[in-house]
Amino acid sequence: MRTLFPVLLTLLLLGSTGIYAQENKPPSEDYVSRAEYDKLKSEHEAMKEELEGLKTTVRQMANGTVPAPAEGPSTTTKALDGKQVVTEATPQSDLDALHKEVDTLKSEIKGVVPGTTKFLLAGYGTAGFTARSGEDPFFDASFNAIFLWKLTDRLLFEGELEFEFEDGNTTTNLEIAQASYLLNDYMTIGVGRFLNPMDYFVERQHMNWVNKFPDKPLAVYDGLLPESELGAQLRGVIPIGPTKLEYAAFVANAPGLITTPGDFSTLGMLDFDNLANAGGHVAVGGHVGFIPIPELEVGYGIQRSTVGPRDQAVEAILQSVDFNYVRDSTLLKGLINFRAQWVWSHVGHFIYDPDGGQGFGPFEFNNNRNGGYVQLAYRPTGFGNIIKNFEPVVRYDRLNQLHTPVGFDEQRWSFGLDYWLTSSTVIKAAYELDNKNAGARDQDAFMLQVAVGF
Amino acid sequence: MKKLTQIIWRCVGFPGTAIVVFLAAFTWLAIGCSTAGNSASTASGKGGAQLWGENCQRCHNTRSPSTYNDAQWEVAMMHMRVRANLTPEEHKAILEFLQSAH
Repeated sequence: MRTLFPVLLTLLLLGSTGIYAQENKPPSEDYVSRAEYDKLKSEHEAMKEELEGLKTTVRQMANGTVPAPAEGPSTTTKALDGKQVVTEATPQSDLDALHKEVDTLKSEIKGVVPGTTKFLLAGYGTAGFTARSGEDPFFDASFNAIFLWKLTDRLLFEGELEFEFEDGNTTTNLEIAQASYLLNDYMTIGVGRFLNPMDYFVERQHMNWVNKFPDKPLAVYDGLLPESELGAQLRGVIPIGPTKLEYAAFVANAPGLITTPGDFSTLGMLDFDNLANAGGHVAVGGHVGFIPIPELEVGYGIQRSTVGPRDQAVEAILQSVDFNYVRDSTLLKGLINFRAQWVWSHVGHFIYDPDGGQGFGPFEFNNNRNGGYVQLAYRPTGFGNIIKNFEPVVRYDRLNQLHTPVGFDEQRWSFGLDYWLTSSTVIKAAYELDNKNAGARDQDAFMLQVAVGF
Repeated sequence: MKKLTQIIWRCVGFPGTAIVVFLAAFTWLAIGCSTAGNSASTASGKGGAQLWGENCQRCHNTRSPSTYNDAQWEVAMMHMRVRANLTPEEHKAILEFLQSAH
């Protein structure tokens, strides 16, 4: 409780001040778009014309030029362009049928007119093939459904379900379940399960229709940093002249510390699926990103917590730096996409298996690991129809963990070629050259993947 | 106050304290701007189409305006405002462009 109190107090203060600010400033989304304006204008013009026609008819009826409509079957006369036109009367039964049809239509339209909540189902799906040396080749597929509800101009709920094959079974994971509220123009508070804001790749690049390789880089994904956090975050952006400063800060369940591993190589690693928050620790973290020009973003993220049993808790610090440069170059007639990220994981000195009961202790060490990736892609958008859809890409990624129970470092060079069928549908082919030290087996791989974003 | 500072320091250490101080300072700044009725953002003078290209392309290919209808773009853009930290001006301009261009 002592750990939670200052964090909750801070969030409460920030939340209440944000709401105060909101009351003093109207929402910035209250506007009418050009399309809405044009639609209203055309409706207004049509109504004016209809009114003029009615006025003319009334005047003619007053002058006796046109007889007033009579109830029941009768012959009516309409004035069109100053001429008298005699039409046959409409039988009452037809009118009744027409009224009934109108009522039915009204009812049907009422059934499909959206309420105040707006909904969008988005997501992405993949199908792939992997042939990795030393392993059986396999096909795989996955599907991520993203549910978005805009409840008000300030309130958004997003949920993401992932369906994938794992160990011969279809698994379902709740990747995101977050309610976000716009406190004011520059602050948004989110609660629930959300993508890890301190990991740029996870938050912005991991989606298969966005990621340019069939697989993910070492260390930054499913490696040294958590993919998601369970807690609350405060985020936003500060415009500073032509530049922007993005920020995010969060409190969340702390990761667990693996002290009794099924696999010895995972000893001392962090368990990011600590949904029950075993140990009762709290993680605090954040990310700051600076955008000096629209093409460039540099950022730094950090997460700090204590981990392990309460009476033996040690410190865990995760850090990340990211660099992203995307430019449509007229000189190179194409889109340059350069990304890099490096992360560090530190788990403090801990004595594992102190009484030797697990058969390997006592064993004590600081678990320090690091790794990251550098990636360059080029899409020749300035060339012809077919060529502009290709995108060659190269990546170097690395994970250093020689002085841990894992016992080796790994580095990879990956070469890929993507073909974009649409802006969010891509076919990827890649070859990966794997290199491990300390006698570990290298595992080169050939991969194919089709990814569709929708 | 000193006791509170010590409790915070013990709980979250230097990185956490730095983040809390940063957020407190920023909150004060943002609230000050909001209650004064002034916008802290700048008018970039860029149109929705340009902002659409600049902001979307930083992470992924720009999607065609015809991908979604007007109501769907409203939801998608609110999602992107939160995820990609768009300013309200960018959000408004890009949404107007997408809704008028399909």
